[in-house]
Formats: sequence, C-alpha cells, structure tokens
Amino acid sequence: MMRKVPVLFTAAAVLAAASACSSSGSASSSGSSAFDPKNCQGGTLYILNQDSATDEHFDPARIYTSGGGAVPSLVFRTLTTRKRVPGQAGTTVAPDLATDTGTPSDDAKTWTYHLRDGLKFEDGTPITSKDVKWGVERSFAPELTGGIPYLRDWLVGGADYQGPYKGKELDSIQTPDDKTIIFKLRKPEGDFPYVATATQFAPVPKAKDGGTAFEKHPISSGPYKVQTHVQDKSLTLVRNPNWSRTADDQRLACPDKIEATYGLSSAVINQRLSTSAGKDANAITTDTDLSPAELARISSDPNLKKRTVRGQFGYTNFIAFNTKVKPFDDVRVRQAISYAVNRQAAVNAVGGSSLAAPATTFLPDQAAFGYQPYDAFPAGPTGNVAKAKELLAQAGQSNLTITLGHRNSDSHQDGPAVATAVQEALKQAGITVNLKAYDQASYRSVQTKPATEPGIFLSGWGADWPTGGPFLAPIFDGRQILKDGGNYNFAQYDDPKVNGEFDAINRISDPVQARPRWGALDAELGEQALTVPLFHPIYLRLYGKNVKNTYLDQWRGSYDVAMVSVK
Amino acid sequence: MTEVVTEIGGPDVATSGPPARARQVLRTLRSDRPAMAGLVVTVLLILAAVFAPLLAALEGQDTTTFHTQLLDSARGGVPHGALGGVSADHWLGVEPTTGRDLFARALYGARISFTVAFGTLVVQLLLGVAIGLAAGFGGRVADATLGRLIDLSISFPQLMFAIALLAIVPQSFPRPVLLMLVIGLFNWGGTARLTRGQVLSLKTRDYVAAARLSGATPARIARREILPGALPQVLTYAAILLPGNMVSEAGLSFLGVGVHPPTSSWGQMLSTATTWFRADPMYVLVPGLSLLTAVLAFTLLADGIRAALDPKASLRGRR
Repeated sequence: MMRKVPVLFTAAAVLAAASACSSSGSASSSGSSAFDPKNCQGGTLYILNQDSATDEHFDPARIYTSGGGAVPSLVFRTLTTRKRVPGQAGTTVAPDLATDTGTPSDDAKTWTYHLRDGLKFEDGTPITSKDVKWGVERSFAPELTGGIPYLRDWLVGGADYQGPYKGKELDSIQTPDDKTIIFKLRKPEGDFPYVATATQFAPVPKAKDGGTAFEKHPISSGPYKVQTHVQDKSLTLVRNPNWSRTADDQRLACPDKIEATYGLSSAVINQRLSTSAGKDANAITTDTDLSPAELARISSDPNLKKRTVRGQFGYTNFIAFNTKVKPFDDVRVRQAISYAVNRQAAVNAVGGSSLAAPATTFLPDQAAFGYQPYDAFPAGPTGNVAKAKELLAQAGQSNLTITLGHRNSDSHQDGPAVATAVQEALKQAGITVNLKAYDQASYRSVQTKPATEPGIFLSGWGADWPTGGPFLAPIFDGRQILKDGGNYNFAQYDDPKVNGEFDAINRISDPVQARPRWGALDAELGEQALTVPLFHPIYLRLYGKNVKNTYLDQWRGSYDVAMVSVK
Repeated sequence: MTEVVTEIGGPDVATSGPPARARQVLRTLRSDRPAMAGLVVTVLLILAAVFAPLLAALEGQDTTTFHTQLLDSARGGVPHGALGGVSADHWLGVEPTTGRDLFARALYGARISFTVAFGTLVVQLLLGVAIGLAAGFGGRVADATLGRLIDLSISFPQLMFAIALLAIVPQSFPRPVLLMLVIGLFNWGGTARLTRGQVLSLKTRDYVAAARLSGATPARIARREILPGALPQVLTYAAILLPGNMVSEAGLSFLGVGVHPPTSSWGQMLSTATTWFRADPMYVLVPGLSLLTAVLAFTLLADGIRAALDPKASLRGRR
C-alpha cells in the first residue's frame, strides 16, 4: 500500500529537497550577468552533500525518488516528470518521455502513454516503449530492492511478479508498438501520472542490463551520463552527446560537467557555501538545509541572505495518538491536548518562523494537496489552557500523567527539542508529561507496529507526490492498518465511510478536481482529534555566489539541478 | 596506639594525630594564594548549587518555562537584544529557540555537575581503596589477581563502554545516579594503584610490625594502622579526580548520553550551544565558563592541598 517510506526516507532523501523562491519571494539569480536559458551552457557545477544523491544503488529500479529526484533525473528520463518551474506550478506533472501526462480509461484503471520522437540512449540507440516496459518490469526482480511499493500494489499481477530475468513478462504492461505503452491497474488510481515520475519508469535497454551490475554503468537517457561514480563518495557527470534540448523541454542542463562530493557534515557544507571560495562559488547542495543557528547568523548578513533560497516540501510534523491506549481512546482527552498545545513554542523549537509554519491542518499548506484552512480546536499561537482543563475535567482526567514518545535526536524534528516544548505546554493545562526517548534507528519501527506503538508520540509525514491521497490514505484509511509493522495509521482509525471516500477520490484523474475533496476529507478527519498537527517545515538553502536560476522546486523543496547554471 | 604509631611513623605519615602537623598544613595552604582563590570559588559555587532554587526564585525564573516572546522567531529563534537577551529579568539571558532562563539552567546544571562529580568520587574511593588495600595487604596471589584487574580497569576503553551502557539502561533509572556509577566504575584504577603502593610501603614499617607482633588481626592492622597512613595521599589524589569527574559528566552529557531533558547540565547545555557560537555567543559562554571556572577552582585547590601535604613539593613550588 502506500507504505510511505517518505517520512523515514523523506528526511534523508526528500529533505534533500527544498523548494522554490528566494527569501525575497521570487526565483532568484545572482552574479554578474542575468540568467539567460538560451545562453547558460558551460562550466562545472559542484554538489556538496551529506549523503549520496542517488541512494544506495545508482540503478533506476532501486532509487526511491519523489518527482524523479534531483540528480537521478539528470541521467534517467521518465514517462512523466515534475514540471520544472518555480512556485506552485512546480507541484504539477509534465510529460517527459511521453507526449502527455497519460490518458486514463476504464475508470482510471488503464493508463496509456505515447513516446515522443527523437529519444535516444547515450549510445545512440533509439528509446522504445519496450525499454520502458523492461525498466518497470526489472524493478520487480527480488534482487533489485529499494524502489517504490506502488507498482507492486497497483499493477494487475504485480503482487506475485518476480521480474523479467527468468523470461516472464508482466502482462498488465502492454506495448502494442514501439511508441505506445499501456498500464492496467487493479483499482482506479487517478494519481498514476504522479507515480510515473519515479525512476522505475525510466527506459532500460534489455541488451545492456546486467541486473545488479547495471548500476556500474547505468545507461543514460537524460542530459548527462556517468563518468565516474564511487558509492557514497563522489559522482562525476558529463554531457550525454545523444541528448538534445529539442527532445526534452523539462531540462536546461546548463553546466558542462557536474561533480558531486558526498559524506560532508552539514556544518561544513553550509560553511563552504557561505564562504563560497574557489570552486565552492559554483556549488549547491541537494540535501542540506540551514540550521537555526546558521539562519540566525546569515540573517544578519545581507550578502549571505541574498544567497538563500526558500522552499517547501509537503510535510507535517504532528503529535500522534494511539487510540487503543488509554486515556487516548477518550476523544475529550485528545481534544484537551489539541487545545493545550503551544504551536509557537514548537515552531521555535525547530528554529522559528523562518524554518516552520504552525499547522492546524493535517494536509500541508499548499494548494496541490487540497489544502483548505481549518482549525478544529482553536488554541491560538500559544494554547487555550482553560478549554483544555475544562475538557479534562469532563473526562475525569484532571490529574493526568502521560508519557510522550520522541526520537532521541532532533534530526527529524521529532526529538527532545519539540518534546520539551510540548511537555511545557501541557504542563500549563495540568497534564504531567514524562518523556521517553527512542533510539534513532528503532523509532520508526516502534511507531509503526501497533503492538509496540506508544499512546502518544511525535511523528511526521511527507507524501511521495504532492496530492492529498498519499498524504491522507496511509494515516487514515482503515484498510491500511498493518498489524505486523509498517503501519502508519497510528490512531488505528477505521471508518467505512472514510474508506469509501478514499476510493471515490482515487477515481478522479484530474488532480484539480480531486483537491477540494481531499481538503474536505482532511477537515472532517481533523474533527476527530486523531492527531495534533504542530507545524509544516520550511527549507532554507544556501548556494555559491556564481550559481544562477537557483529556485527550490515546490514538489520536493530542493534545488532543481537540471535548471541551475554556473556560467 | 595512635601515639605510638606517630612516634615510630616518621614525618611523612600524617595520621589523624598531631595537631602541630595539621596546623602546619593549614598554614601552608593558607599562604598558597591560588589554592585559597580556588577554595573561595569552590565554596561559592557549591553554595550556589545548593541554594539554586533560592537564587532562581530571587531572579524570579525557573528552568523549564518557555519565553517565546523573547525570541526572534524569524531569525532562527535567537534571543532579542544584546548578549543573548540579558536583562533585569534574565540575568544571563535566555536559551535560543526556547527562551528558557540561562541563569536558572546554569545553576541547576551546577547541581548535576557537582552531585555527579562527588557521587562518582565516593564510588571511586570505595572501590579504589578497598581493592588497593586488598591488593597491597592480601598476599601474593591477591596482589597478582587484583593487580591485573587494576591494569584492566585503567586500560579499559571507558568512553565507548560508558556510552554503550548509558544507552541500554532503562530510562526509568535515575540518570545522575547512573552517571555516578558508570563514571565511577570505570575510573577507580588510579586510586587502587596508589593505595596499593602506599600499603606496600607502609606495611614494612616498624610500627606495623609492632602491631602485628602485639597480636592485631590483619583486618585491624589494615584499618587502624595502614589506612590512616595512606589516606592523605589518597585524598590528595581524590581532589584531583574531582574536576576530572566533572569533565567526564560534561563529556557524556555533551555526547547526548547524560541527563535527560528538560533537566539541564553544563555538558548538555554546551552540547546544544555549540552550533550557536557565532549567532549567540552568550549561550556557549554561560555553561563553558561555568565549567572552566569550576574545574580550575577545584584543580587549584587540589594542587594546593597536595603541595601542603608534601613538604618537598611545596618547596619546589615555592622556589
């Protein structure tokens, strides 16, 4: 099911994303001359990262991306991709290899794509729909782990398919000719075009596919090909001579060469970007945000402030309740906590209003998700203590003592800093909160197994693509309660009416039409006090002083490497 | 018995006995200005820690209340105003991102630092003296066995083990006690070795032989004859261990395995403050200088005591 690796994963891969608009509010460019897409080619772009920008394996079947990723989409083109523009428009899907974002039929259970003309691999061979089919099929091979879970769940026959290497095809992917590819799904999925942005939809030539060895020389369909790659250390990309802008309107591919260095600490990355000396003037990062302390320093330096861009990846940090644990089965207790919470303190705990926005909705505050503002338990910025006490008295819980679970580090913004802010706020309402720190490595698995799930704990959620479905379904769809682990329906909430609404909205293949339905569903769920939304994180990133066209895309909140220029 | 002991004992054996000797030690100590400064500061710090609730009440603050209105939320949550928000209400400013009072947190942090340092010392002394005494006094086999145990304890990778241990012990266990045990259990080797050396040299003395001939049991000899003789050296060593213990606590808290939030300790404060050293230097200076002052004061005092107890050393120092 939409097992959202995101959150887990999000922090690692998606944090890497940050999005559009400079702090002044628009796509920014700095340097001596203005940015001109027609004349931006040349130079070497440097990427300074903590972690590898291409996951643990540089294989399109094994990379888990949202919207195609920052660096993977330079090498792997996909059927669709995120639209490469700043601002809200960047949360929509654009055709990439295909001529459109897909034609649905049969109640959004069949999706048909046609490839555009002039597509070639790095060796000059033409790209056909069979190569795309092979790329999707090989992601089912048991040895190629790490990819998205949706294909196995959605495609007819996907659940038992073991990949193409033993000669068996997946019949629910049809290629009637070299230009056409058809996907047959077992249930309506209006969001299919969003999933078709994933690297699993990149073409892989069967003749050059060595299974797990493919990552040693991944065959490029994008503007760059791999020159050298040392896992977790470095990556050098050079131009792919068989790619041209005429067959790709989603990538500018300005730099002649891209050199990435991994394994740096966040402090070092931000220090090098702010100093911007030598090669670092041509540098960006795809995974490192400014910390509160760095922000405090940079905001008093106008020159550095100019080189900061701001973006959002749809994410919500919240307090989760396990309604199977007393006293959180009592809606009045959950409501009391919703009223008592001090969102301003929580926001400050993660670095203040420049790095987080207070949240009263579960959906992120972006139109793409179907966001409709609501505040089911108006607590104001600092909490409504009187109302909370009143509800606790009604519930007969005036001397309540609870234990709040949290991560033992602040890396995912669900650690001691936010926990102490919540603890202090609930103290005002007469609730004694003990803190229980969980080990960084095990925290996610403790939460996602109903047997070990704490009664109340800090959590967070980010979607694999910017619509309401992947944001709400794993958390509130009662059929996605997984007893054996991997459960994100923390409240273990199961309402047939709500489940039916999920199915109904998934039939809508026009995301704009689906939005108001997601927003309304979120507001309805909000009334149940199943979670207490705390804040939506905001990403701020630095870039070197020669880098131009440096917006953070609003899909992932990250630099779009395909669009920046160093000339 | 005691009188006999001192007579035979010789000048370097300062037992509980002679007032003349004690007076001389005190006199030497009093004329040692760095040591006296160390003493005064140590006493003041201990008083401050003991009366932390009073002092915080005098300031009108506590350690946990958030003051979000004092923070510049748009700038990462750095405190408004100069010097990290120093004001009449917040004498040392407030903590970035929370607005908790730094004066109160530093005071309560001192309590943790001192409690853990002294508690650890008790563990170290009990273990070290007992094992050292047994090794020095217990015959060849005991000495060989315990000697290797002491070697092991000294060569043990303490930090790694302490971190591992602190990570697995249930969180319900009182943290300061756990810190005392963990630091104490890994740092008694020096005390034991020193005690053993003292015992070996003392047990060949005539007065010990006299006690043995007079029919005293080995336990009594160890307790009444040898321990008093070894104690001054051990206590001097203990005074030097104390600042080391404070640094160990700070180090473990700095690494995130010390006390749990919202409890404050200097090490934990330093740990969260490090990233802020440019944006809010005050935040780093408060715990940093507190730790520096305390460790320096203890060290000066310990040095003075050692010099006073060891005439040769004091002569060297005074030259």
